[in-house]
Amino acid sequence: MPFQTEGTVIKNERIQSLYFLLGIDCPPIANQIKPGQFVMLKVSDDRAPLLRRPFSVYQSCPDHYPEKTNRGCLFILYKIVGKGTRKMTALEKGQKVNLIGPLGNGFTLPPLPSSASNILVGGGVGIASLHSLAEILRDTNLFVFIGGRTREDILCVEDFKKCTSAIFIATEDGSLGVKGTVVDLFLTQRRKFKGSSRPYLYTCGPMAMFQRLSKSFNAKKFICQASLETRMGCGFGACWGCVVKTNHPQTPYQRVCEEGPVFYLENILWE
Amino acid sequence: MRDPDLTVKIGKLILKNPVIVSSGTFGFGQEFEDFFDLNQLGALIPKGISLTPMEGNPPPRIFETEGGILNSIGLQNPGFEAFIKNKLPYYKDLKTHLIINFFGNTRKEYVELARRFDHVPGISALEMNISCPNIKRGGIVFGTDPQMAYRLVQAVRKVTVLPLMVKLSPNVTDIGSMATSVVEGGADAVSLVNTFRAMALNIHTRKPELGNIIGGLSGPAIKPIALRMVWEVSQAVHVPIIGMGGIMNAEDAIEFILVGASAVQIGTANLINPKTGIEVIEGIKKYLVQNRINRIQNLIGNFQINQAP
Repeated sequence: MPFQTEGTVIKNERIQSLYFLLGIDCPPIANQIKPGQFVMLKVSDDRAPLLRRPFSVYQSCPDHYPEKTNRGCLFILYKIVGKGTRKMTALEKGQKVNLIGPLGNGFTLPPLPSSASNILVGGGVGIASLHSLAEILRDTNLFVFIGGRTREDILCVEDFKKCTSAIFIATEDGSLGVKGTVVDLFLTQRRKFKGSSRPYLYTCGPMAMFQRLSKSFNAKKFICQASLETRMGCGFGACWGCVVKTNHPQTPYQRVCEEGPVFYLENILWE
Repeated sequence: MRDPDLTVKIGKLILKNPVIVSSGTFGFGQEFEDFFDLNQLGALIPKGISLTPMEGNPPPRIFETEGGILNSIGLQNPGFEAFIKNKLPYYKDLKTHLIINFFGNTRKEYVELARRFDHVPGISALEMNISCPNIKRGGIVFGTDPQMAYRLVQAVRKVTVLPLMVKLSPNVTDIGSMATSVVEGGADAVSLVNTFRAMALNIHTRKPELGNIIGGLSGPAIKPIALRMVWEVSQAVHVPIIGMGGIMNAEDAIEFILVGASAVQIGTANLINPKTGIEVIEGIKKYLVQNRINRIQNLIGNFQINQAP
């Protein structure tokens, strides 16, 4: 059940190039939010930008989180892409921000403990929504594929290393890891997952990444979930602005904020 | 001082306060129940309903501009039957008015829908949408031609006894004459403005920002134009006016009331702050108390134009 609440900025720091990590003390949301769900953040009190911006949560630390210092806090990993995110970089420690969350449906996980392989494939800032998932799946057969355009776009490898040693990195310019896209890299490795019970594939990144993934292999061999990013109006189902085309028989255009943001990849139609 | 009297009349419909949430920005209402008690509103208008389901426009459907939002949702809705079956039961225990926004692709569809809604219990009024900029047929076609609008409203008037308000398009040269036409056709009230036809593009990709290329602009960017139009309509017709267009807070709402609106609709602001509706009600109450006005009805049209600013 979402609610509108205030949080206090505890940090807002550049982690590398255009990427920032924003920490917000907001126990009501930190206690409830699940991997794949998101929050709508009012970046600024004035009317520029007018709309809230959707963010998945990189890390949330509920009251029972092992590390005590950040309990009640949530962390948003964001990239400067436009006016909204540029303005966000000006948020300072101690400032109040208005949030709505938790929103949307998170990832469906196998019953834990599980012997199934759990494979995370993230492109660019899309890796953000997969990190909180990695923390939950750390004791399973966990594989993480991280991709980006250059080494500057490969994020938070150290944090993922705390969850698994099976980390694969690809950059399009070859400046770090294997040269190529993260999807290419995953495809070269996919035989690894043959034979075990149906593996779970969790992905987040740009639309083109999902499109490439859905066209290049038989997704049915995997339980393949995709966390989609589209432009949103409200984030809580009121405006129908964020839709994606699916194979739903009655309502092909489904709301990313309400029916998603996590969808089974096989249900998305690419035009 | 006692609490000021916020009740307003829209024809035979009495609202406990002048704040209505606008169709297309409030989902079916349920989406907001986690944020506040919907019963506090003057009235609620769910998403517009057509005779048969509408798929809506291809994405992207929304884009933010300076102080505004462009949308081309395309009136996606489940259609009359699914609305009655799946959505209407939710409103059963509602203690505020339910106003149904409806539209057709043809005159026949408008009439058929009005006829059907007329028999549905629990509906307080109809808002006829002749102003959506985002569908090819119907909608705005009727809303920009005074003669067509007149005939359409006249036909709909004959099949319903419910209070009938007509939602006007601002995409006309003379909104006063559009209002006059729909009132002559039998409208009990007019609501305005719907969104302004507008567009945006990306110079790097050279592509439009909306899948439909053209959409409708709403938000604070349009408020001064909307206000002017409500003022013009208030001089042209003598039926109640429901004013809207970029209302973000109580101050904005009071401006519309001062130029002649009996009630206001909150639209875009619902998407940003879902509690805007009740905050506007509280703000209006406060303004009345501060200005020692007992009844909001004394504020309607109380625009002082004889004195220089």
